[in-house]
Amino acid sequence: MNVLPSTTPRARSRRLRLALPALALCLGLLAAALVTTTPLAAYDQALGKRSETLKPCDDHMDRGRRTEARGCYVALIDSTTDPAVQAEAYWALDDYKRANELFRDAVKAQPENPDLRVRWGFLFLTTHNEGEGAKLFQEALKLDEDHAPAKLGMATVVGGRFEGKALELVKQAVEAVPEQVEGYLLWARMALEEHDYDTADKQLDTALEKAKQLAVSPLDAYALKASLDLLRGNTNSEWTKRALDYNPHDGSIYATPAHFYVITRRYREAVELYSKAVEVEPTLWEAHAELSVNLLREGQEREGRQHLEIAFKGDPYSLTTVNTLRLLDSLANFETFSNHDNVALGTREQMEAAIDKPKVILKLHKEEAAVLRPYATELAERSIATFAEKYGFQPERPVQIEMYPDHDDFAVRTMGMPGLGLLGVTFGYVIAMDSPSGRAPGTFHWGTTLWHELAHVFTLEATNHLVPRWFSEGISTYEEWEADASWGEQVSPDFLEAVKEGKLLPVAELDKGFVRPRYPNQIAISYFQAGLVCKMIDEEWGVESLVELLKGYAQNKSTADNIQQVLDVSAEEFDKQFAAYIDDMLGEKVEALPQWRAAMKKAVEAAKAKNWADVIEPAKEAIGLFPDFVEGGNPYVTLAEAYVEQGDKRAAAAQLQAYQQQGGKSPESIKQLAGLLDELGRRSEAIEALEGLLYIAPNDAELHRKLGGWFLEEDDLPAAVRELEVLLAMNPLDKADAHYNLARAYHKMKDRDKMRRHLLLALEAAPSFRPAQKLLLETTAQ
Amino acid sequence: MAAAAPLGCGVTRLACLLLLALVPGLPAETLPSSRTHFVILSGLGGEPLYEKRFAEQVKELEKVARRNAGDASLVHALSGEAATRKAIEELFARLKKDVAPEDSLAVVLLGHGSYDGYDYKLNVPGPDITGERLRVLFEGVPAERQLVVNTTSASGAVMELWKSDKRVVVAATKNGRERTATTFAQFFVEALASAEADTDKSESITAQEAYTYAERKVKDFYESEMRLATEHSRMEGELAGSFTLARLGKALEAAADPATREMMARREALEQQVGALKLRKESMAEQQYFDELQKVLIELAQLQTKIDDALGQP
Repeated sequence: MNVLPSTTPRARSRRLRLALPALALCLGLLAAALVTTTPLAAYDQALGKRSETLKPCDDHMDRGRRTEARGCYVALIDSTTDPAVQAEAYWALDDYKRANELFRDAVKAQPENPDLRVRWGFLFLTTHNEGEGAKLFQEALKLDEDHAPAKLGMATVVGGRFEGKALELVKQAVEAVPEQVEGYLLWARMALEEHDYDTADKQLDTALEKAKQLAVSPLDAYALKASLDLLRGNTNSEWTKRALDYNPHDGSIYATPAHFYVITRRYREAVELYSKAVEVEPTLWEAHAELSVNLLREGQEREGRQHLEIAFKGDPYSLTTVNTLRLLDSLANFETFSNHDNVALGTREQMEAAIDKPKVILKLHKEEAAVLRPYATELAERSIATFAEKYGFQPERPVQIEMYPDHDDFAVRTMGMPGLGLLGVTFGYVIAMDSPSGRAPGTFHWGTTLWHELAHVFTLEATNHLVPRWFSEGISTYEEWEADASWGEQVSPDFLEAVKEGKLLPVAELDKGFVRPRYPNQIAISYFQAGLVCKMIDEEWGVESLVELLKGYAQNKSTADNIQQVLDVSAEEFDKQFAAYIDDMLGEKVEALPQWRAAMKKAVEAAKAKNWADVIEPAKEAIGLFPDFVEGGNPYVTLAEAYVEQGDKRAAAAQLQAYQQQGGKSPESIKQLAGLLDELGRRSEAIEALEGLLYIAPNDAELHRKLGGWFLEEDDLPAAVRELEVLLAMNPLDKADAHYNLARAYHKMKDRDKMRRHLLLALEAAPSFRPAQKLLLETTAQ
Repeated sequence: MAAAAPLGCGVTRLACLLLLALVPGLPAETLPSSRTHFVILSGLGGEPLYEKRFAEQVKELEKVARRNAGDASLVHALSGEAATRKAIEELFARLKKDVAPEDSLAVVLLGHGSYDGYDYKLNVPGPDITGERLRVLFEGVPAERQLVVNTTSASGAVMELWKSDKRVVVAATKNGRERTATTFAQFFVEALASAEADTDKSESITAQEAYTYAERKVKDFYESEMRLATEHSRMEGELAGSFTLARLGKALEAAADPATREMMARREALEQQVGALKLRKESMAEQQYFDELQKVLIELAQLQTKIDDALGQP
């Protein structure tokens, strides 16, 4: 979410400037952000020069004297012919369209003036149009490559995307123009987002000093000071009172700290602060929007929608608001279930009232609810039981799991915008994630994702959301590996390269790898590193140390202190041990990367030429050097193909089995494995292979048909019934066969009523279906 | 009129045939002297991949058609360089003379089609043949039961042009604007030998069953590939459920065997009773519906046992 100057109350009530727009992207967790605008007693030229004639009006706005301010701006518009001044005045009066037209005129009249372009750019940011804003900042930089306001504008845009280069731009701007406020505020905000509190404090002190010298409004600095206090555990900041004394209608004094609650995943607390923000400043549309999003994260749809509608009315330019409203409309296509019943209920309230304390509430799209529900319910119940025992924490509320077949719906649910690269997000007791039909079969292990997100529920809730990002992700990643050897991400060549190039972060700074990545792929590398850190702690200190660390985080300890107290080593010593652990685990693989690549090349080329005999040795070598590689073009599948071509089914099955155990996800390969195992008379292993596929590509009728039949033959009747019921829910072509097999299962279970019903339904679809006819004659004793 | 008698068909032979043809689930081949003529037209592939694919489909279709027709002379295939407009015209001129009104005609078009907003054209060597000309050729064949399956790109353009009371028309695309090469043919051909497509377990594949199978498989294909579907098939015509295209197992034998012919007719009558009961399902109490259904199904099962015994089937 990107909220900018004029969309905040201050934008209307005072001059417009910005603090950092924060489109906070927090991977498996999430952040949304509020970007505040700042009132100015005098105008901070760091955001582009404005006319001094605006100052009296700005002063009214800054102090919350809205009526006086509006009258002043209207009078100013009438009294001047300067389009730039008129544009600023219309902007302050919320007439963005007219302001835009006037800025266009102003730029036309003074094409060489970079300040005008910067101001116009900020107007675009106000209306959530980052692209046009960035374009104008770039144009200003072309006119003057050292133009500090343009650099701050660009920093605002890239900072909103949490790109690492934002800080560099801010530093350049401050160096170029030290006498300003805005640059220090941006710097402080970025430091706060990275939990670098000392830097933030220092920059805020400078900002306050400069604000005093320049007679610029201190409200943004107050809001960030209050945020700093909050992040340090002081929820009763003196800065709140100072801000309200300065301007009793300053909602940002609550909304800005609320943003930091959001990016540290404390959504309930954020709701409380945003509520206060809209109470003191009912026209703070961004706060309404954020309040609504966080209410939705808490599962409070009705209240969320109310605030969303208010936000839309006040700020129709916000795509996130529009997208979220559309998403809420599309939720009509979802059904809600609990793990205690088979009946879809309307709302969570109905669910909780109707059912005695369900542990799991599922919201599934009606077109796939019947397919996903049994597996998602079982997996969620199993993981909750596992984590409750392991981490000594019992969820206090049902866990709500939402699975979206449309990835963009999930992205909007998470960030308000489509295009999110995540698979799942946990807001506390609410999880949102892609459903398997949201991604290409074989590219997504939804079981792992759900397990991962459910681990977040425990790490977040057991620490009142105080757990640092890296540890929560680390536990979730480690728990994927603990759940099943074939689950979770495997070591990637990218990770090996990162190890080789010394790119892993010290444990005390590992959060930075998630929040503001410095190189491509750093987030993925940080996930894996965090997982390995937790794995090492388990192996070297015991799993109870992970639990103790979690308890330490619940007390808001820093990572360095927590590690020192729980593991009895300094963070630096821990890093050394981790380096040795990594070297021991991966050192040889890192060294062997070139050799592995050469072997892979040979195997692939031989397979391409169908020289199967020449595939075997290099493929085996590649597997030996780097067995973790199971992505497209992996040597297991190539080797299996070579063995099949040579007629060695046993060897082919062995390779495909190793592939699946290493985390291979290709549905075709896994189905091939199951078929080979069955041919080899290894039915139970064949079933195991296909059961693994249920967590990858469950929307495959053939998978359920085959599993149902096999379970039936093996007399695992409840499993057979589950599979065949799912198959029927998929409206298969051959309904008669599915009903007939269900009838057989119920016949074996001696459930006569269900047997008869499904048998007659089978014959209804296919009256001359001989096996069903025989069963009918047999069971009716004809 | 052995097959017609149990149904009380006391009108003229042709009228009776037409009447029977409109009864869903009743294979036309149960009528004593009716024959099904198969025409397979495969146009140009344009590139080796398609040439190979179309040739394989023609081969598979010929195999199924010969088995079902029981007489190789009833199967006519023109493909590749041989499928010129002239050859097609000549073939239909022969059919005009050879085919009787009580016969059935099944035409399958493979290859690429095009549509310029006015005319559909099947791409063949030399001058292409238009949809309008093909319509005239189909109309010229006296068969009162016709099935035309156009699996080419842009095939939906001919739907309105070709449909008639006596003809089932299947097109691989929704309209003439879906111009990408289709996958429909592959699944339609696959259906003709697939037990999965035989959803009523009658050991025969009707045009309806083959269409339903192919339609589903095309949809699954695009979904599994996460691709935007570039083809949306259509079918028009009332006879699809009774137009048998392929027989699996012993069904062909049973239909031809005089010893079982009467029992087969009775079986068909019972199957129709099931169909009639299904139509009343919504208006009946569930228990009553299942009780009545069970009664008919038991009789059907007992009869099937007798048929199987007569045919020496286990």
